[in-house]
Amino acid sequence: MVKGSKASEDTILMVEFVKGETFAEFIRRMGLTRDELGDCFIDGTLTRPQSELREGARVALFPFNMVLLCGGQHLKGHGYTRDDVDVDYY
Amino acid sequence: MAKILRINMNDLSYKWEEVPSKWETLAGRAFTSTIVSEEVDPKCHPLREKNKIVISPGLLAGTKAPSSGRLSVGAKSPLTEGIKEANAGGLTATKLGRLGIRGIVIEGMPKGNDWYSIIISKDKCEIKVTNEYAGLGLYDLTTKIWKDYPNKPGIIGCGIAGQRLSKAAGVFGNNIENTDPGRYAGRGGLGAVFGSKRIVTIITDDSEGKAPEPKDSDKFTESITKLREALRAHPVTGKLKDDKGKPFGGLANYGTNILQNIINEAGGLPTRGFKSGRFEGAAKISGEAVHEIVDKTREKFGDSAEGRYGHACHPACVMRCSNVVPYEDTGKHHVGPLEYETAWALGTNLGIDKLQDVAELNRLCNDLGLDTIETGNTIAMFMEAGVIDFGDGQAAIELLKKAYDEKSIEGRLVCSGTKSAGEALGVTRIPVVKGQALPAYDPRPIRGIGVTYATSTMGADHTSGYTIAAEILGVKGKVTDPRALDKAELSRAFQSTTAYIDSSGYCLFIAFCILDNDDGFAGMKGSVDAFLGKDIDVTEYGLAVLKKEREFNAKAGFTNADDRLPEFFYTEPLPPHNVTFDVTDEELDMVYKDL
Repeated sequence: MVKGSKASEDTILMVEFVKGETFAEFIRRMGLTRDELGDCFIDGTLTRPQSELREGARVALFPFNMVLLCGGQHLKGHGYTRDDVDVDYY
Repeated sequence: MAKILRINMNDLSYKWEEVPSKWETLAGRAFTSTIVSEEVDPKCHPLREKNKIVISPGLLAGTKAPSSGRLSVGAKSPLTEGIKEANAGGLTATKLGRLGIRGIVIEGMPKGNDWYSIIISKDKCEIKVTNEYAGLGLYDLTTKIWKDYPNKPGIIGCGIAGQRLSKAAGVFGNNIENTDPGRYAGRGGLGAVFGSKRIVTIITDDSEGKAPEPKDSDKFTESITKLREALRAHPVTGKLKDDKGKPFGGLANYGTNILQNIINEAGGLPTRGFKSGRFEGAAKISGEAVHEIVDKTREKFGDSAEGRYGHACHPACVMRCSNVVPYEDTGKHHVGPLEYETAWALGTNLGIDKLQDVAELNRLCNDLGLDTIETGNTIAMFMEAGVIDFGDGQAAIELLKKAYDEKSIEGRLVCSGTKSAGEALGVTRIPVVKGQALPAYDPRPIRGIGVTYATSTMGADHTSGYTIAAEILGVKGKVTDPRALDKAELSRAFQSTTAYIDSSGYCLFIAFCILDNDDGFAGMKGSVDAFLGKDIDVTEYGLAVLKKEREFNAKAGFTNADDRLPEFFYTEPLPPHNVTFDVTDEELDMVYKDL
């Protein structure tokens, strides 16, 4: 997505703000799909598809195999990565 | 039939015992904690005659079960003064399993100044004077031992720090290739208990051993196949590359240090002595950075490059989260593995963002026989006190090197544990619970892990009940108030499942997969049941272990007042979320109220 990016540095991309845009809409705009992504954050808080972005937000995208290494998402109410679970406390 | 090897260091004798029927299902942590709680005086001095070292391979060690070769080491801890189980990979658990040894109990302490090694092979044990092994750096020692014992034995023991009874001393283990002594049962100062009994190493040769037989072979094979498939298909624990050759498994590609960037983003990465939840240099010392330098040095140095990811920490491992960090200028082995907790303790927590400095500090810890988490936190006390500066990697390296000089007081202090060093240096922000330093998740934004740190029988320990995600989600109470989740129940459920896994021989990391995947869970439980020929209840088994550990600690003098975090976590808000640890004492006491 970003030319010349390195794994040993933060890759920062400035993106135009769209009022009322949800995280799901945002990743679509970035040309990404949900199954390509792991845990993602808006301003340091784990995001869900319907989370809305605010102007100046810091959005962090991690690939599908990068999650909080927690296990038991269905027990603990994990937000974004698991949508095929029976129970979601959130 | 599995056996117990009981060694008496008072008179340098040993005997083989049958495993009594009441202990038949016990192995790993269940075995070590049961024996420590039944046989060790909880009030005893941990570094004198009455303490015992108990070593036990997990139940399935030596079998073909995937990622099942973990070793438990237990004793009364000189760091926490409570019960301790520390867990590691390496070669020894697999080899003890193949020799049919359920556990080793080491009692007493010898008179005189000799240093000993215990040499174990099929139905044989020798307690040998090995003064030439004492005082050596562990890279030299493990190399020497493989020359002296050509059957590629498993080696565990203590280094210089343990031999001097330093409380940050861990129990080292050699890796599969014997290129690094970095497989540590690190926590709780158990290396010093080895030193107190004047044991430098335990050398295990399984050349005449064989894989232990499960009671129900068909069910066992079926179960481990199920588990293996679940592990390999999971994006965290899965294979290195997918069918198209793209990086797949998170752990195989980036190791446990995959967490560096993600916990940083979550605002829970303790930085410069727990002063911020974000570190601007995190990416430079992350698992991704290690992956990059391994690829780069492979490209440059070809077959002579020694950097690795997707490296197995013990023979049966399929998750392969271990790595080897190469020297950038030669491609040769610098240290392996560099784990998340270590990169945090010796990097982030010290404000050091140079990967080679972090790797060097890790190598020094491995060579000296030190727990990296405890040592990193101890160096942070020197920084907090202004003796050296946060971010000064070279000064940290020079400080740690003083530990080689037995006359150096600074050298002794840097090995003495966070609490001792912090108090000696006049620091009031000392991040310990029950005397043991906190690992790499700040308990303020990640309150569930804070509950585990506070209430664990082991002192501050992330592996006792890994409740990270739910609590991060609840950081701001945006979606729901985190209190709506019953944290006590969550923490206890995870602590008991953890105790079961720590006893099975399986690596705790299978939890990432088995708690998501029903087939994986069935595979884990099925394999343990098939091995024993019994139906074991996971939670009950785990709770029984916790109960024994709690009882020991109670007799040692611990009360609910010890199940607390240090004061500054309750009063200093942590940026960027600016939260404090606000779980009440009553909530903390709920975790074990009805146990």
